[in-house]
Amino acid sequence: MDDLLIQIKHFEEFALSKLGSVVNKNDLDALKIEFLGRKGKLTELSKYIGKASTEMRPKIGGEINRLKKLIQEKIDTKTAALAESIKKDVLDYTLPVRRDFTGHKHPLLQTIDDIVSIFHGMGFEVASGPDVETEYYTFDALNTPEDHPSRDLSDTFYIKKGVCLRTHTSPVQIRTMEKQKPPVRIIAPGRCYRSDTPDPSHSPVFYQCEGLYVDKGVTFADLKGTITAFAQAMFGKNVKVRFRPHFFPFTEPSVEYDFSCVICGGKGCRVCKHNGWLEISGAGMVDPEVFKAVSYDSEKYTGFAWGMGIDRLAMLRYRIDDVRLLYENDVRFIRQF
Amino acid sequence: MKISYNWLKELIEFDVSVDKIADLLTLSGSEIEAIEKKGLDISGVVAGKILTVDSHPQADRLTVCTVDVGNEKLTAICGAPNAKPGLIVFFAKVGAVLANGTKLKKAKIRGVESFGMILAEDELGISDDHTGIIELDGGIAPGTPIEQILTLVDYIFELEITPNRPDCLSHIGIAREVKALLGGKINYPDFNVIEAGPETSSDLAIEIENSDGCPRYTGRLISSVKIKQSPLWLKARLYYLGIRPLNNVVDITNYVLLETGQPLHAFDYKFFKTKKVVVKNAVKGEKFTTLDGEDRELNDSHLLITDGENAVALAGIMGGLNSEVTDNTTDILLESAYFDPATIRRGAKTVGLSTESSQRFERGADRLMAPKANNRACGLIAKLAGGEIHRGIIDCYPKKFSPAKIDFRPERVEIILGVNIDKAKICRIFDGLDIEYKNGSPMQITQPSFRPDLTREIDLIEEITRIYGIDNIPERFQPGGALGVEINPESLIKDSLRNLLVGGGFVETCSLTLIDGRQLKKIDENASLVELQNPLSEEMSVLRPNLTISMLKTLKHNINYGNKDIKLFEISVVYKPSSGELSDEKEAICLGLCGREQPVSWRNKEKYTDFYSLKAELEAIFDYFKIELEIKPQNNPYFDDDCSFIIVALDGQNMGMLGKVSNRAGKQVGIKQDCFIAEFDFEKFAQLAAKPKYFKSLPKYPASDRDIALIVGQGIRAIDIINMIQSVNNNLVENVYPFDVYEGKNIPEGKKSIAFRIIYRSAKQTLTDDEVDEVHKKVVLKLNEEFGAELRS
Repeated sequence: MDDLLIQIKHFEEFALSKLGSVVNKNDLDALKIEFLGRKGKLTELSKYIGKASTEMRPKIGGEINRLKKLIQEKIDTKTAALAESIKKDVLDYTLPVRRDFTGHKHPLLQTIDDIVSIFHGMGFEVASGPDVETEYYTFDALNTPEDHPSRDLSDTFYIKKGVCLRTHTSPVQIRTMEKQKPPVRIIAPGRCYRSDTPDPSHSPVFYQCEGLYVDKGVTFADLKGTITAFAQAMFGKNVKVRFRPHFFPFTEPSVEYDFSCVICGGKGCRVCKHNGWLEISGAGMVDPEVFKAVSYDSEKYTGFAWGMGIDRLAMLRYRIDDVRLLYENDVRFIRQF
Repeated sequence: MKISYNWLKELIEFDVSVDKIADLLTLSGSEIEAIEKKGLDISGVVAGKILTVDSHPQADRLTVCTVDVGNEKLTAICGAPNAKPGLIVFFAKVGAVLANGTKLKKAKIRGVESFGMILAEDELGISDDHTGIIELDGGIAPGTPIEQILTLVDYIFELEITPNRPDCLSHIGIAREVKALLGGKINYPDFNVIEAGPETSSDLAIEIENSDGCPRYTGRLISSVKIKQSPLWLKARLYYLGIRPLNNVVDITNYVLLETGQPLHAFDYKFFKTKKVVVKNAVKGEKFTTLDGEDRELNDSHLLITDGENAVALAGIMGGLNSEVTDNTTDILLESAYFDPATIRRGAKTVGLSTESSQRFERGADRLMAPKANNRACGLIAKLAGGEIHRGIIDCYPKKFSPAKIDFRPERVEIILGVNIDKAKICRIFDGLDIEYKNGSPMQITQPSFRPDLTREIDLIEEITRIYGIDNIPERFQPGGALGVEINPESLIKDSLRNLLVGGGFVETCSLTLIDGRQLKKIDENASLVELQNPLSEEMSVLRPNLTISMLKTLKHNINYGNKDIKLFEISVVYKPSSGELSDEKEAICLGLCGREQPVSWRNKEKYTDFYSLKAELEAIFDYFKIELEIKPQNNPYFDDDCSFIIVALDGQNMGMLGKVSNRAGKQVGIKQDCFIAEFDFEKFAQLAAKPKYFKSLPKYPASDRDIALIVGQGIRAIDIINMIQSVNNNLVENVYPFDVYEGKNIPEGKKSIAFRIIYRSAKQTLTDDEVDEVHKKVVLKLNEEFGAELRS
């Protein structure tokens, strides 16, 4: 009685292929009668069940039922599909439309934009100075000794005698104070240069932002308040700032400041080297020697200055792990921001 | 700088945890970068007495030792050459843990069972010596735990000391910081010395030829010393602090250096034939072999220690190989001097050396410490190496320390810090830091000899800040209302322009300003460049003269990574040499296009960027800012000769360029794809864009358009036709723009078809069809007259 099973199998293949190629409602209706109708093929096949041996009957019956169900399902899906195909003016709102490229601002420059707007809100103006700078503005006027290692050829790029690429944005402090009497409240974002071989955390060209506030009555408490206000505006109210005494020739007292880790919230992670703090940069009260260089009276005026690495802030903010990405300008990178 | 916690505790008592003291030091300016725990893991080690040493049956180099460890006798296999019966050693039993973390197990070594290990120094982590087992003092009873014999557990702080604080490069200096922070007093080491030998002056004279370079030089002689290894505690202490133990005398000089911050040098005195020390400058070109065996060429600013004839040390930097203390040395000259910081800094730099000694001298040592440290070291040498200390110290001191006298006004503290700190507290801080003061108004402060950084009132305020604690200074924030913020109009225009471009699908780039000068010259041999004297590499040897070169590199990078359809822009600085002191720096803006004009999409007809794509972008930008855009052909090495233009400003000035990247430039950079670049002066652009815009009334009457399709010669330019149409009747022709351009089939050779839409409108009335037709007819006539234009039917 295996013949019958084989016949059923053959019929299944035949039916499915017929159903697969049908393209209109009429043909489909005709097939439905041909396969499932009272005089249809399946009814015909059912008749043979009685002739099969007792033990084979359930099996054959089961096969026929399965096939009946299968054909019915196929007919239903096909009916629905044919119904869809004759609908008109259907809007496929899922179809992706790419009309034009989407532009993106560079993450480093977005960071500068935000720094500028935060400090604008605090009453700081934006000042600037040249990249190619004199040694006087870069070092001398900032009370940096003649033989200070930062002046070495191995640290600073020189253009000619007495002219270098500025190693920090601090010359803008001097240029601004020379031009204007207190009160002075400026920030100066800009490019700086140091003779560092590029690696994941160094770039010979990088961005820094200088800040300077000089007036009567400006104190270290204002320095703390201003930097903390910035940190919280940039990274959220929960960020804490830690100040550690340090040494810079152009400020006294000098500090380095750290933000509580913006990645782990200060619990300790790979980025903060597991100590919960991120070293950001230096700050301090403007050294009387610097005031002397710009003819400000240090008995009358006090002020504070700070620097910060914009690259580092951008990297922290967007969790970028290699500074070189910032200057490679891979569109796949910039389009992420 | 490494500091041992144990040593610090010996110098000053305090009652706070290791982590807390580290925090306190960090927050007062001596930043602890790391804390290393030493010896914590070691356990199960006791003193043992070797009873028997038998040769190992299977191995020539090994011995089988039985060791009495107090309550039992254990067998251990040993490979040390110095194992012999009767020796008291350190024995690690099964289960003991060694410095490297290994836990000892019972082992079978070449068939013989071993129940422990006799230890060498490296296995305890107190040096890297593995030449033999440790030989302990004979009086130690077997079974004594190691903890009772040697302190192994210590915490080593790695400190970052700022260059202004040479005093903190010593344990006493850090102890003083602790004293200022927590109170207490310092247990100074014994600076007195028991002299026994002959008069020093009969065997040693000191002459200083350059007293600016060497303001003070003290010398002592010790004879009959016995050079040997240092005791374990001393070796361990030095080793923990990163200094390799050598022998007792050298180790002591290093120990006193770490203790007091005063660099010392021990010479083998037998080399001093003349029995004198002469400190003088080297002769230019003079050669000298330092302790490390290197031949150094000196110049005339190097300071040398000599015996009058031969140099024996590069002063303050490194001793000479010739007078080195060796195992055979018996007579020692101990130098403890003060050298001028600048002299040592220059000297160390020119020979490329940075030593424990030079680092301290170049930051400024303590002139008053020199003789004391000499005494201290001699005392230790007499104790640990035997020998007689000759009577008297030779102290040649031509330049006395003259402390700065500082007027200090306590009220300035609040002016600088914004917090009131009472005078009693200020005095306590000065006391803690060993700063002498006289009360009065102002207070009179005397600079301590160990603090070269304290010369001004503001320096003292910094001391108060550090010790008072920055955390105790309040945060104040004066909101910005008091000052008006002026925003430079150029930066507002820049922001609008960036927004416009980003909205138009451009990606903003930020490229390095340093570029490859040689490559640039291959594209544009006439470029005048701002060159670095000391570039890192050829790739970053000059400041870029334009943004185009950066854009080419950026395009190349992206094309290489398969991103071939891109629109980029950058606004940044370009550099030119100037006749003035600095360079001529100007901001420019650059657009770069390549690949498809739009992303691949079912909705877009695939179209590749061409010259007109770039021009369309420029038109949009200029139109947004209401600036007239005029371009003219002009060749330039970056662009193809038949697609190279300049942008002309309203005043006729050349303000930029655009075109299709030339083969020459493309080849240099490595671009094969068609790329289009425009670059123009941003400052000029901003000036033009800053012109105020004023309202014009909207038209009251409707417009009427007419289309006109012309066949003209290919040489006729659209702008001329447009101008001509407009000139027919300026009052009525409101706008003219081409909407179809065609060449080819059905158009005669050398001709092209351009179709224009002309918008007619009058400001005074609604135009009738007749009125429009009349003007339009004139237009047709005029075009035919001027350009031979035919109407295309």
